[in-house]
Amino acid sequence: MRAIQRLQRSGVGVGPERTIQQVAQLMNSSGVGSIGVIDDDRLVGMVTDRDIVRRGLARGLPADARVDGIMSSPALTIDADASIDDAVEAFRTHAVRRLAVVDADGGFVGVISLDDLLLDMARDLGSLTSPLAAEIGDPHRDSPVPVVA
Amino acid sequence: MITAHVGDLLVVHGRRVGEPERDAEILEVRGPDGGPPFVVRWSEDGHESLFFPGSDAFVRHVGHDDD
Repeated sequence: MRAIQRLQRSGVGVGPERTIQQVAQLMNSSGVGSIGVIDDDRLVGMVTDRDIVRRGLARGLPADARVDGIMSSPALTIDADASIDDAVEAFRTHAVRRLAVVDADGGFVGVISLDDLLLDMARDLGSLTSPLAAEIGDPHRDSPVPVVA
Repeated sequence: MITAHVGDLLVVHGRRVGEPERDAEILEVRGPDGGPPFVVRWSEDGHESLFFPGSDAFVRHVGHDDD
């Protein structure tokens, strides 16, 4: 059973007192689309670029509003030692694009995305289908029959 | 586990084709034995955050005697 560890991307975290604008700028500078909101070393929520648009801008919240006003809380999480199958089930159940990865103590350690999971599965399928495709595309590629004297 | 010292450079690979690497200075090491999380300052605009490194990041050590 394969673990999600190799798909786990870095996590970026901020305190709940940060403003929406600060978090948007941080997403830009760090290159992430979701950020963990951490209070007292605990993951209290997640905020995504989509949250900023739909829960912030679309509702007319000012840029200096606190980010904990638009975060998803509690955050949807998956254990760091979970399997790929667990991740598939979690994405299917919650219909989200990203999950926060947490350690055995519940601490935030990173993020796993549906995009990365799908790409990983596509690579696996590709490695399975390429020998088959070669065989179908070139049916005469069998090894030559040995000549018996 | 990725370890770091204060002053080291954190580098994060781009997530998509053509997306640049991001980097940040490590300001504080909060985990045990030099491990994460790190408090970092992003070089693009000076914003600070906590950082929990994954498979897309590495630390470039800068001028330590024990390197």
